[in-house]
Amino acid sequence: MERAIELINVSKTYPGVTALSDVTFSVKKGSVHGFLGPNGAGKSTTMNIITGLIPPSGGTVKVFGEDVLQNPEKTKRRIGFLPEHPPLYGTMKVEEYLKFVQGINSLRSTVGHDDYQETLELCGLKDVSHRLIKNLSKGYRQRVAIAQALIGRPDIVILDEPTVGLDPSAIVEIRELIYSLRENHTILLSTHILHEVNLICDHITIINRGVITNSGPIRELQSASEETQVIQAEIMSWRDEIKPLLFRDLPLEDLHVQTKDDFTKLTFKLKGKDDYRAWISDILVKNNCQLLGLTKQSVDVENLFKSATEEESKGRFQ
Amino acid sequence: MKTWLKGISILYKKEIKDAFLSPFVYILSGLFIGLGGWVFFSLLLASKNVTEATLTASVLTPSFSLYRFILMIICPLLTMRLLSEEKKNHTIELLFLSDLDNIQIILSKFFSSMTIVLFMLGLTVLFPVILGFSGYSDWGVVISGYAGLIFLSAAYISLGLFASSLSSNYVICLILAIFMMLGMWFMVLSAGNTENYIVGLILRYFSESFHFENFVRGTVRSFNFVYFLSFIGFFMFLTEKSLNSRKW
Repeated sequence: MERAIELINVSKTYPGVTALSDVTFSVKKGSVHGFLGPNGAGKSTTMNIITGLIPPSGGTVKVFGEDVLQNPEKTKRRIGFLPEHPPLYGTMKVEEYLKFVQGINSLRSTVGHDDYQETLELCGLKDVSHRLIKNLSKGYRQRVAIAQALIGRPDIVILDEPTVGLDPSAIVEIRELIYSLRENHTILLSTHILHEVNLICDHITIINRGVITNSGPIRELQSASEETQVIQAEIMSWRDEIKPLLFRDLPLEDLHVQTKDDFTKLTFKLKGKDDYRAWISDILVKNNCQLLGLTKQSVDVENLFKSATEEESKGRFQ
Repeated sequence: MKTWLKGISILYKKEIKDAFLSPFVYILSGLFIGLGGWVFFSLLLASKNVTEATLTASVLTPSFSLYRFILMIICPLLTMRLLSEEKKNHTIELLFLSDLDNIQIILSKFFSSMTIVLFMLGLTVLFPVILGFSGYSDWGVVISGYAGLIFLSAAYISLGLFASSLSSNYVICLILAIFMMLGMWFMVLSAGNTENYIVGLILRYFSESFHFENFVRGTVRSFNFVYFLSFIGFFMFLTEKSLNSRKW
Protein backbone atom coordinates (compact mmCIF):
# COMPACT_ATOMS: atom_id res chain seq x y z
CA MET A 1 0.00 0.00 0.00
CA GLU A 2 1.51 3.31 -1.04
CA ARG A 3 0.97 5.86 1.69
CA ALA A 4 0.17 9.41 0.66
CA ILE A 5 0.23 10.72 4.22
CA GLU A 6 1.76 9.09 7.26
CA LEU A 7 1.69 10.37 10.83
CA ILE A 8 3.88 8.61 13.37
CA ASN A 9 3.46 9.42 17.07
CA VAL A 10 2.59 13.02 16.35
CA SER A 11 1.91 15.17 19.37
CA LYS A 12 1.11 18.83 19.82
CA THR A 13 1.13 20.63 23.12
CA TYR A 14 0.29 24.19 24.01
CA PRO A 15 1.03 25.59 27.47
CA GLY A 16 -1.20 23.56 29.77
CA VAL A 17 -3.03 21.77 26.93
CA THR A 18 -2.25 18.59 25.02
CA ALA A 19 -3.99 18.98 21.67
CA LEU A 20 -2.65 15.77 20.12
CA SER A 21 -1.15 12.76 21.80
CA ASP A 22 0.78 10.09 19.87
CA VAL A 23 -1.36 10.40 16.77
CA THR A 24 -0.50 7.62 14.34
CA PHE A 25 -2.40 6.89 11.16
CA SER A 26 -1.86 6.80 7.43
CA VAL A 27 -3.80 7.77 4.35
CA LYS A 28 -3.61 5.40 1.41
CA LYS A 29 -2.79 6.85 -2.00
CA GLY A 30 -5.93 7.28 -4.10
CA SER A 31 -8.33 6.88 -1.18
CA VAL A 32 -10.98 9.20 0.20
CA HIS A 33 -10.17 9.26 3.88
CA GLY A 34 -12.70 10.61 6.36
CA PHE A 35 -11.31 12.26 9.48
CA LEU A 36 -13.92 12.28 12.23
CA GLY A 37 -14.10 13.58 15.73
CA PRO A 38 -16.18 15.78 18.01
CA ASN A 39 -15.50 19.51 18.26
CA GLY A 40 -12.10 20.22 19.78
CA ALA A 41 -10.88 16.66 19.20
CA GLY A 42 -7.81 17.86 17.28
CA LYS A 43 -8.91 17.45 13.64
CA SER A 44 -7.93 20.94 12.48
CA THR A 45 -4.68 20.83 14.45
CA THR A 46 -3.77 17.55 12.75
CA MET A 47 -4.61 18.96 9.32
CA ASN A 48 -2.61 22.11 9.98
CA ILE A 49 0.37 19.96 10.99
CA ILE A 50 0.11 17.82 7.85
CA THR A 51 0.08 20.93 5.64
CA GLY A 52 3.02 22.42 7.51
CA LEU A 53 1.09 25.43 8.80
CA ILE A 54 2.08 24.56 12.36
CA PRO A 55 4.90 22.27 13.47
CA PRO A 56 4.23 19.26 15.71
CA SER A 57 5.72 19.16 19.22
CA GLY A 58 6.89 15.63 18.52
CA GLY A 59 6.62 12.80 16.02
CA THR A 60 6.96 12.57 12.25
CA VAL A 61 4.70 13.56 9.39
CA LYS A 62 5.47 12.17 5.96
CA VAL A 63 3.93 13.06 2.61
CA PHE A 64 4.74 10.44 -0.02
CA GLY A 65 7.65 9.37 2.16
CA GLU A 66 9.11 12.90 2.52
CA ASP A 67 9.34 14.38 5.99
CA VAL A 68 7.20 17.54 6.17
CA LEU A 69 9.58 19.24 8.60
CA GLN A 70 12.71 18.41 6.61
CA ASN A 71 11.32 19.12 3.13
CA PRO A 72 8.52 21.62 3.69
CA GLU A 73 8.72 23.16 0.21
CA LYS A 74 8.62 19.79 -1.55
CA THR A 75 5.71 18.43 0.48
CA LYS A 76 3.77 21.71 0.38
CA ARG A 77 3.57 21.50 -3.40
CA ARG A 78 1.90 18.10 -3.25
CA ILE A 79 -0.90 19.27 -0.95
CA GLY A 80 -3.94 21.42 -1.67
CA PHE A 81 -5.64 22.64 1.48
CA LEU A 82 -9.07 24.02 2.25
CA PRO A 83 -8.83 25.28 5.85
CA GLU A 84 -11.80 25.41 8.19
CA HIS A 85 -12.27 29.10 7.36
CA PRO A 86 -12.09 29.50 3.55
CA PRO A 87 -9.21 31.86 2.71
CA LEU A 88 -11.07 34.11 0.27
CA TYR A 89 -10.60 37.75 -0.73
CA GLY A 90 -14.17 39.04 -1.05
CA THR A 91 -13.16 42.05 -3.13
CA MET A 92 -11.64 39.90 -5.88
CA LYS A 93 -13.45 38.34 -8.81
CA VAL A 94 -13.47 34.54 -8.92
CA GLU A 95 -11.19 34.29 -11.96
CA GLU A 96 -8.89 37.00 -10.66
CA TYR A 97 -8.62 35.22 -7.28
CA LEU A 98 -7.74 31.85 -8.81
CA LYS A 99 -5.20 33.52 -11.09
CA PHE A 100 -3.68 35.17 -8.01
CA VAL A 101 -3.55 31.84 -6.15
CA GLN A 102 -1.91 30.26 -9.19
CA GLY A 103 0.59 33.12 -9.32
CA ILE A 104 1.73 32.78 -5.70
CA ASN A 105 1.85 28.99 -5.95
CA SER A 106 3.78 28.71 -9.19
CA LEU A 107 6.90 30.65 -8.20
CA ARG A 108 8.97 27.53 -7.57
CA SER A 109 7.12 25.04 -9.70
CA THR A 110 5.66 24.91 -13.16
CA VAL A 111 1.91 25.27 -13.05
CA GLY A 112 0.36 25.56 -16.48
CA HIS A 113 -0.96 28.98 -17.46
CA ASP A 114 -4.40 27.56 -18.14
CA ASP A 115 -4.53 25.68 -14.87
CA TYR A 116 -6.92 28.12 -13.21
CA GLN A 117 -9.18 28.00 -16.27
CA GLU A 118 -9.38 24.22 -15.99
CA THR A 119 -10.10 24.54 -12.27
CA LEU A 120 -12.90 27.01 -12.98
CA GLU A 121 -14.42 24.44 -15.29
CA LEU A 122 -13.86 21.51 -12.94
CA CYS A 123 -15.52 23.28 -10.01
CA GLY A 124 -18.44 24.58 -12.06
CA LEU A 125 -17.43 28.22 -11.62
CA LYS A 126 -17.38 29.34 -15.27
CA ASP A 127 -20.71 31.15 -14.97
CA VAL A 128 -19.64 33.17 -11.95
CA SER A 129 -16.01 33.72 -12.94
CA HIS A 130 -16.49 37.50 -13.35
CA ARG A 131 -18.42 38.01 -10.15
CA LEU A 132 -17.00 39.35 -6.92
CA ILE A 133 -16.48 36.58 -4.36
CA LYS A 134 -18.28 38.56 -1.64
CA ASN A 135 -21.45 38.60 -3.78
CA LEU A 136 -21.57 34.81 -4.25
CA SER A 137 -23.78 32.41 -2.31
CA LYS A 138 -22.15 30.39 0.46
CA GLY A 139 -22.18 27.26 -1.72
CA TYR A 140 -20.36 29.01 -4.55
CA ARG A 141 -17.89 30.59 -2.14
CA GLN A 142 -17.09 27.11 -0.87
CA ARG A 143 -16.60 25.95 -4.46
CA VAL A 144 -14.12 28.80 -4.97
CA ALA A 145 -12.34 27.76 -1.77
CA ILE A 146 -12.11 24.17 -2.99
CA ALA A 147 -10.94 25.44 -6.39
CA GLN A 148 -8.02 27.29 -4.75
CA ALA A 149 -6.99 24.00 -3.12
CA LEU A 150 -6.92 22.34 -6.55
CA ILE A 151 -4.69 24.93 -8.22
CA GLY A 152 -1.42 23.29 -9.24
CA ARG A 153 -3.09 19.86 -9.40
CA PRO A 154 -1.84 18.62 -6.01
CA ASP A 155 -1.71 14.87 -5.40
CA ILE A 156 -3.38 15.29 -2.02
CA VAL A 157 -6.38 17.46 -1.25
CA ILE A 158 -7.13 18.15 2.41
CA LEU A 159 -10.57 19.52 3.13
CA ASP A 160 -11.41 20.73 6.63
CA GLU A 161 -15.19 20.71 7.12
CA PRO A 162 -16.00 21.52 3.47
CA THR A 163 -19.78 21.37 3.94
CA VAL A 164 -20.18 23.12 7.27
CA GLY A 165 -22.79 25.86 7.30
CA LEU A 166 -24.15 25.07 3.84
CA ASP A 167 -27.79 24.49 2.94
CA PRO A 168 -28.85 20.94 1.95
CA SER A 169 -28.69 21.54 -1.81
CA ALA A 170 -25.24 23.14 -1.54
CA ILE A 171 -24.10 20.18 0.60
CA VAL A 172 -25.15 17.78 -2.16
CA GLU A 173 -23.35 19.89 -4.79
CA ILE A 174 -20.13 20.08 -2.78
CA ARG A 175 -20.34 16.35 -2.02
CA GLU A 176 -20.65 15.59 -5.73
CA LEU A 177 -17.70 17.85 -6.44
CA ILE A 178 -15.57 16.05 -3.83
CA TYR A 179 -16.72 12.72 -5.22
CA SER A 180 -15.57 13.74 -8.69
CA LEU A 181 -12.11 14.59 -7.34
CA ARG A 182 -11.44 11.06 -6.11
CA GLU A 183 -10.29 9.95 -9.56
CA ASN A 184 -7.19 12.14 -9.59
CA HIS A 185 -6.50 12.99 -5.98
CA THR A 186 -6.02 11.44 -2.57
CA ILE A 187 -8.54 13.16 -0.33
CA LEU A 188 -8.41 13.67 3.42
CA LEU A 189 -11.71 15.08 4.57
CA SER A 190 -12.90 16.14 7.99
CA THR A 191 -16.61 16.43 8.53
CA HIS A 192 -19.35 16.28 11.13
CA ILE A 193 -21.85 14.77 8.71
CA LEU A 194 -21.47 11.03 9.22
CA HIS A 195 -23.86 10.27 6.38
CA GLU A 196 -21.41 12.07 4.10
CA VAL A 197 -18.58 9.78 5.24
CA ASN A 198 -20.73 6.74 4.51
CA LEU A 199 -21.33 8.05 1.01
CA ILE A 200 -17.91 9.15 -0.14
CA CYS A 201 -15.17 7.73 2.08
CA ASP A 202 -13.55 4.35 1.88
CA HIS A 203 -11.24 4.83 4.88
CA ILE A 204 -11.80 6.62 8.15
CA THR A 205 -9.87 7.79 11.18
CA ILE A 206 -11.68 8.75 14.35
CA ILE A 207 -9.99 11.10 16.79
CA ASN A 208 -11.21 11.91 20.26
CA ARG A 209 -9.51 14.27 22.72
CA GLY A 210 -6.34 14.24 20.62
CA VAL A 211 -6.09 10.44 20.55
CA ILE A 212 -6.80 8.20 17.56
CA THR A 213 -9.46 5.65 18.51
CA ASN A 214 -10.09 3.93 15.16
CA SER A 215 -8.37 4.02 11.80
CA GLY A 216 -8.59 1.95 8.65
CA PRO A 217 -10.87 0.89 5.79
CA ILE A 218 -14.52 1.38 6.78
CA ARG A 219 -15.41 -2.25 5.95
CA GLU A 220 -12.65 -3.64 8.15
CA LEU A 221 -13.64 -1.41 11.04
CA GLN A 222 -17.26 -2.42 10.59
CA SER A 223 -16.53 -6.12 10.58
CA ALA A 224 -14.29 -5.73 13.62
CA SER A 225 -17.21 -4.12 15.41
CA GLU A 226 -19.62 -6.81 14.36
CA GLU A 227 -19.10 -8.93 17.47
CA THR A 228 -22.78 -8.43 18.11
CA GLN A 229 -25.16 -8.33 15.20
CA VAL A 230 -28.77 -7.34 14.84
CA ILE A 231 -31.14 -9.15 12.45
CA GLN A 232 -34.74 -8.14 11.91
CA ALA A 233 -37.47 -10.47 10.62
CA GLU A 234 -41.01 -9.67 9.63
CA ILE A 235 -43.57 -12.47 9.89
CA MET A 236 -47.35 -12.85 9.75
CA SER A 237 -47.85 -15.63 12.28
CA TRP A 238 -46.19 -15.78 15.72
CA ARG A 239 -46.53 -18.28 18.56
CA ASP A 240 -44.72 -17.91 21.89
CA GLU A 241 -43.60 -21.56 21.88
CA ILE A 242 -41.20 -20.77 19.00
CA LYS A 243 -39.12 -18.52 21.25
CA PRO A 244 -37.38 -21.38 23.20
CA LEU A 245 -36.55 -23.06 19.88
CA LEU A 246 -34.82 -19.93 18.67
CA PHE A 247 -32.86 -19.58 21.91
CA ARG A 248 -31.86 -23.25 21.66
CA ASP A 249 -30.62 -23.20 18.05
CA LEU A 250 -29.11 -19.70 17.81
CA PRO A 251 -26.45 -17.79 19.86
CA LEU A 252 -29.14 -15.33 20.87
CA GLU A 253 -28.41 -12.56 23.34
CA ASP A 254 -31.85 -11.05 23.14
CA LEU A 255 -35.07 -11.36 21.15
CA HIS A 256 -37.58 -8.56 20.92
CA VAL A 257 -41.07 -9.33 19.63
CA GLN A 258 -43.36 -6.55 18.50
CA THR A 259 -46.81 -7.28 17.04
CA LYS A 260 -48.69 -4.58 15.20
CA ASP A 261 -51.87 -5.13 13.15
CA ASP A 262 -51.40 -8.50 11.42
CA PHE A 263 -47.60 -8.37 11.37
CA THR A 264 -44.94 -9.29 13.90
CA LYS A 265 -41.48 -7.78 13.92
CA LEU A 266 -38.74 -9.89 15.51
CA THR A 267 -35.41 -8.26 16.45
CA PHE A 268 -32.63 -10.79 17.07
CA LYS A 269 -29.46 -9.70 18.88
CA LEU A 270 -26.82 -12.36 18.19
CA LYS A 271 -23.24 -12.99 19.22
CA GLY A 272 -20.53 -13.69 16.59
CA LYS A 273 -19.69 -12.63 13.07
CA ASP A 274 -21.39 -15.50 11.16
CA ASP A 275 -24.43 -14.74 9.04
CA TYR A 276 -27.41 -16.36 10.82
CA ARG A 277 -30.07 -15.25 8.37
CA ALA A 278 -30.33 -18.68 6.70
CA TRP A 279 -30.72 -20.40 10.09
CA ILE A 280 -33.39 -17.96 11.24
CA SER A 281 -35.25 -18.29 7.96
CA ASP A 282 -35.11 -22.10 8.23
CA ILE A 283 -36.57 -22.14 11.77
CA LEU A 284 -39.29 -19.62 10.97
CA VAL A 285 -40.35 -21.38 7.77
CA LYS A 286 -40.41 -24.80 9.46
CA ASN A 287 -42.71 -23.38 12.13
CA ASN A 288 -45.09 -21.85 9.55
CA CYS A 289 -44.45 -18.28 10.63
CA GLN A 290 -45.08 -16.95 7.10
CA LEU A 291 -41.78 -15.09 6.75
CA LEU A 292 -42.08 -11.81 4.80
CA GLY A 293 -38.59 -10.34 5.13
CA LEU A 294 -35.22 -10.66 6.80
CA THR A 295 -32.59 -7.91 7.11
CA LYS A 296 -29.22 -7.67 8.77
CA GLN A 297 -28.42 -4.25 10.23
CA SER A 298 -24.93 -3.16 9.30
CA VAL A 299 -22.65 -1.30 11.68
CA ASP A 300 -22.43 2.09 10.00
CA VAL A 301 -20.00 4.93 10.57
CA GLU A 302 -22.44 6.54 12.94
CA ASN A 303 -22.26 3.54 15.28
CA LEU A 304 -18.47 3.43 14.99
CA PHE A 305 -18.28 7.13 15.79
CA LYS A 306 -20.66 6.79 18.72
CA SER A 307 -18.75 3.92 20.28
CA ALA A 308 -15.42 5.70 19.72
CA THR A 309 -16.57 8.91 21.36
CA GLU A 310 -18.89 7.33 23.94
CA GLU A 311 -16.39 7.60 26.76
CA GLU A 312 -16.08 11.32 26.30
CA SER A 313 -19.85 11.87 26.28
CA LYS A 314 -20.26 9.72 29.37
CA GLY A 315 -17.54 11.66 31.14
CA ARG A 316 -19.09 14.92 30.13
CA PHE A 317 -22.56 14.17 31.44
CA GLN A 318 -21.61 12.35 34.63
CA MET B 1 16.12 36.48 -7.57
CA LYS B 2 13.84 37.21 -10.51
CA THR B 3 11.29 34.69 -9.22
CA TRP B 4 11.59 36.13 -5.73
CA LEU B 5 10.83 39.64 -7.01
CA LYS B 6 7.97 38.25 -9.09
CA GLY B 7 6.40 36.93 -5.87
CA ILE B 8 6.59 40.41 -4.33
CA SER B 9 5.16 41.95 -7.48
CA ILE B 10 2.12 39.60 -7.55
CA LEU B 11 1.09 40.42 -3.98
CA TYR B 12 2.03 44.11 -4.42
CA LYS B 13 -0.27 44.43 -7.45
CA LYS B 14 -3.14 42.85 -5.54
CA GLU B 15 -2.62 45.21 -2.60
CA ILE B 16 -2.42 48.28 -4.81
CA LYS B 17 -5.54 47.29 -6.72
CA ASP B 18 -7.44 46.69 -3.49
CA ALA B 19 -6.33 50.04 -2.10
CA PHE B 20 -7.12 52.15 -5.14
CA LEU B 21 -10.48 50.46 -5.68
CA SER B 22 -11.63 51.45 -2.20
CA PRO B 23 -12.68 55.02 -1.34
CA PHE B 24 -10.50 54.96 1.78
CA VAL B 25 -7.32 56.04 -0.02
CA TYR B 26 -9.10 58.88 -1.81
CA ILE B 27 -10.70 60.13 1.40
CA LEU B 28 -7.32 60.12 3.16
CA SER B 29 -5.66 61.81 0.16
CA GLY B 30 -8.40 64.45 0.07
CA LEU B 31 -7.98 65.17 3.77
CA PHE B 32 -4.19 65.26 3.43
CA ILE B 33 -4.09 67.69 0.54
CA GLY B 34 -6.99 69.75 1.93
CA LEU B 35 -5.37 70.21 5.31
CA GLY B 36 -1.88 70.61 3.84
CA GLY B 37 -3.09 73.18 1.31
CA TRP B 38 -5.01 75.20 3.85
CA VAL B 39 -2.00 75.40 6.20
CA PHE B 40 0.41 76.15 3.33
CA PHE B 41 -1.57 79.10 2.06
CA SER B 42 -2.22 80.38 5.60
CA LEU B 43 1.52 80.35 6.24
CA LEU B 44 2.16 81.98 2.87
CA LEU B 45 -0.28 84.79 3.61
CA ALA B 46 1.18 85.25 7.08
CA SER B 47 4.70 85.55 5.67
CA LYS B 48 5.33 89.34 5.47
CA ASN B 49 8.70 89.67 3.81
CA VAL B 50 8.58 87.29 0.89
CA THR B 51 12.21 86.40 0.35
CA GLU B 52 13.75 83.01 -0.28
CA ALA B 53 15.08 82.72 3.27
CA THR B 54 11.80 83.67 4.90
CA LEU B 55 9.76 81.43 2.60
CA THR B 56 11.90 78.46 3.60
CA ALA B 57 11.76 79.32 7.29
CA SER B 58 8.17 80.49 7.59
CA VAL B 59 6.35 78.43 4.94
CA LEU B 60 8.20 75.30 3.84
CA THR B 61 9.70 74.18 7.16
CA PRO B 62 6.41 74.47 9.10
CA SER B 63 4.58 72.78 6.18
CA PHE B 64 6.93 69.79 6.29
CA SER B 65 6.49 69.58 10.06
CA LEU B 66 2.73 69.58 9.58
CA TYR B 67 2.97 66.82 6.96
CA ARG B 68 4.91 64.84 9.51
CA PHE B 69 2.06 65.04 12.02
CA ILE B 70 -0.50 64.10 9.37
CA LEU B 71 1.66 61.12 8.37
CA MET B 72 1.71 60.04 12.02
CA ILE B 73 -2.06 59.49 11.67
CA ILE B 74 -2.24 58.42 8.02
CA CYS B 75 0.46 55.74 8.08
CA PRO B 76 -1.13 53.71 10.92
CA LEU B 77 -4.52 54.08 9.20
CA LEU B 78 -3.02 52.66 6.02
CA THR B 79 -1.15 49.84 7.70
CA MET B 80 -3.63 48.79 10.40
CA ARG B 81 -5.43 46.31 8.11
CA LEU B 82 -2.44 45.00 6.17
CA LEU B 83 -1.77 41.89 8.23
CA SER B 84 -4.57 42.02 10.80
CA GLU B 85 -7.23 41.62 8.12
CA GLU B 86 -5.34 38.72 6.55
CA LYS B 87 -5.39 37.08 9.98
CA LYS B 88 -9.03 37.91 10.63
CA ASN B 89 -10.15 36.51 7.26
CA HIS B 90 -7.73 33.56 7.50
CA THR B 91 -6.23 34.52 4.12
CA ILE B 92 -2.85 34.62 5.86
CA GLU B 93 -2.99 30.80 5.68
CA LEU B 94 -3.26 31.03 1.89
CA LEU B 95 -0.11 33.17 1.85
CA PHE B 96 1.73 30.91 4.31
CA LEU B 97 0.95 27.84 2.21
CA SER B 98 2.03 29.52 -1.02
CA ASP B 99 5.54 29.83 -2.42
CA LEU B 100 5.86 33.27 -0.82
CA ASP B 101 8.11 33.61 2.20
CA ASN B 102 7.47 35.98 5.10
CA ILE B 103 9.91 38.59 3.77
CA GLN B 104 8.12 38.69 0.42
CA ILE B 105 4.76 39.13 2.18
CA ILE B 106 6.14 41.95 4.34
CA LEU B 107 7.88 43.74 1.47
CA SER B 108 4.79 43.55 -0.77
CA LYS B 109 2.68 45.14 1.95
CA PHE B 110 5.37 47.70 2.71
CA PHE B 111 5.82 48.80 -0.91
CA SER B 112 2.08 49.00 -1.52
CA SER B 113 1.65 51.35 1.46
CA MET B 114 4.68 53.34 0.36
CA THR B 115 3.11 53.76 -3.09
CA ILE B 116 -0.05 55.18 -1.53
CA VAL B 117 1.93 57.59 0.65
CA LEU B 118 4.02 58.66 -2.36
CA PHE B 119 0.78 59.30 -4.24
CA MET B 120 -0.40 61.54 -1.38
CA LEU B 121 2.93 63.34 -1.08
CA GLY B 122 2.96 63.73 -4.86
CA LEU B 123 -0.21 65.78 -4.60
CA THR B 124 1.49 68.26 -2.24
CA VAL B 125 4.34 68.93 -4.71
CA LEU B 126 1.94 71.43 -6.21
CA PHE B 127 2.60 73.88 -3.35
CA PRO B 128 6.37 74.31 -3.82
CA VAL B 129 5.77 74.46 -7.58
CA ILE B 130 3.47 77.45 -6.97
CA LEU B 131 6.30 79.07 -5.00
CA GLY B 132 8.61 78.35 -7.91
CA PHE B 133 6.37 80.39 -10.21
CA SER B 134 6.84 83.36 -7.93
CA GLY B 135 10.62 83.09 -8.15
CA TYR B 136 11.49 80.74 -5.32
CA SER B 137 14.50 78.63 -6.25
CA ASP B 138 15.92 76.93 -3.13
CA TRP B 139 15.04 73.50 -4.50
CA GLY B 140 17.69 71.75 -2.43
CA VAL B 141 15.63 72.30 0.73
CA VAL B 142 12.46 71.16 -1.03
CA ILE B 143 14.07 67.95 -2.28
CA SER B 144 15.70 67.30 1.07
CA GLY B 145 12.37 67.89 2.87
CA TYR B 146 10.53 65.48 0.61
CA ALA B 147 13.32 62.90 1.01
CA GLY B 148 12.84 63.28 4.77
CA LEU B 149 9.08 62.76 4.42
CA ILE B 150 9.69 59.62 2.33
CA PHE B 151 12.11 58.15 4.87
CA LEU B 152 9.79 59.11 7.71
CA SER B 153 6.79 57.51 5.96
CA ALA B 154 8.80 54.34 5.36
CA ALA B 155 9.69 54.26 9.06
CA TYR B 156 6.07 54.80 10.15
CA ILE B 157 4.84 52.17 7.69
CA SER B 158 7.32 49.58 8.93
CA LEU B 159 6.23 50.33 12.50
CA GLY B 160 2.53 50.17 11.50
CA LEU B 161 3.12 46.90 9.71
CA PHE B 162 4.62 45.44 12.86
CA ALA B 163 1.64 46.67 14.92
CA SER B 164 -0.68 45.11 12.32
CA SER B 165 1.00 41.74 12.78
CA LEU B 166 0.27 41.70 16.50
CA SER B 167 -3.51 41.36 16.46
CA SER B 168 -6.40 40.41 14.19
CA ASN B 169 -8.32 43.44 15.46
CA TYR B 170 -7.29 46.43 13.37
CA VAL B 171 -8.47 49.00 15.90
CA ILE B 172 -6.02 47.53 18.42
CA CYS B 173 -3.31 47.63 15.73
CA LEU B 174 -4.07 51.30 15.02
CA ILE B 175 -3.91 52.24 18.70
CA LEU B 176 -0.68 50.28 19.16
CA ALA B 177 0.99 51.99 16.20
CA ILE B 178 -0.05 55.49 17.28
CA PHE B 179 1.14 54.87 20.83
CA MET B 180 4.50 53.58 19.61
CA MET B 181 4.91 56.72 17.49
CA LEU B 182 3.89 58.98 20.35
CA GLY B 183 6.38 57.12 22.54
CA MET B 184 9.18 58.11 20.20
CA TRP B 185 7.97 61.68 20.03
CA PHE B 186 8.02 61.89 23.82
CA MET B 187 11.66 60.84 23.70
CA VAL B 188 12.50 64.25 22.25
CA LEU B 189 10.56 65.97 25.01
CA SER B 190 12.37 63.87 27.61
CA ALA B 191 15.67 64.62 25.91
CA GLY B 192 15.01 68.33 26.38
CA ASN B 193 14.15 67.88 30.04
CA THR B 194 17.02 65.67 31.12
CA GLU B 195 20.05 67.32 32.73
CA ASN B 196 22.36 64.52 31.66
CA TYR B 197 23.87 65.55 28.33
CA ILE B 198 24.71 61.99 27.18
CA VAL B 199 21.25 60.62 28.04
CA GLY B 200 19.66 63.59 26.28
CA LEU B 201 21.78 62.95 23.20
CA ILE B 202 20.90 59.25 23.13
CA LEU B 203 17.18 59.95 23.57
CA ARG B 204 17.30 62.53 20.80
CA TYR B 205 19.14 60.16 18.51
CA PHE B 206 16.49 57.47 18.99
CA SER B 207 13.68 59.87 18.10
CA GLU B 208 12.77 60.07 14.43
CA SER B 209 11.86 63.77 14.64
CA PHE B 210 15.49 64.71 15.39
CA HIS B 211 16.62 63.06 12.15
CA PHE B 212 13.68 64.37 10.17
CA GLU B 213 14.51 67.95 11.19
CA ASN B 214 17.94 67.58 9.59
CA PHE B 215 16.25 66.70 6.32
CA VAL B 216 13.86 69.66 6.59
CA ARG B 217 16.71 72.09 7.30
CA GLY B 218 18.68 70.65 4.40
CA THR B 219 21.52 69.58 6.71
CA VAL B 220 21.35 65.85 6.13
CA ARG B 221 24.14 63.67 7.53
CA SER B 222 24.91 60.05 6.76
CA PHE B 223 23.80 58.98 10.27
CA ASN B 224 20.31 60.27 9.42
CA PHE B 225 20.11 57.71 6.60
CA VAL B 226 21.60 55.03 8.84
CA TYR B 227 18.97 55.80 11.50
CA PHE B 228 15.99 55.52 9.14
CA LEU B 229 17.30 52.40 7.38
CA SER B 230 17.99 50.74 10.74
CA PHE B 231 14.54 51.77 11.99
CA ILE B 232 12.85 50.24 8.93
CA GLY B 233 15.00 47.10 9.08
CA PHE B 234 14.39 46.67 12.82
CA PHE B 235 10.59 46.83 12.54
CA MET B 236 10.58 44.55 9.50
CA PHE B 237 12.65 42.07 11.47
CA LEU B 238 10.12 42.26 14.33
CA THR B 239 7.24 41.80 11.86
CA GLU B 240 8.92 38.73 10.44
CA LYS B 241 9.37 37.31 13.95
CA SER B 242 5.75 38.10 14.75
CA LEU B 243 4.52 36.28 11.61
CA ASN B 244 6.73 33.32 12.45
CA SER B 245 5.35 33.17 15.97
CA ARG B 246 2.08 31.85 14.52
CA LYS B 247 3.96 28.69 13.76
CA TRP B 248 5.21 28.17 17.32
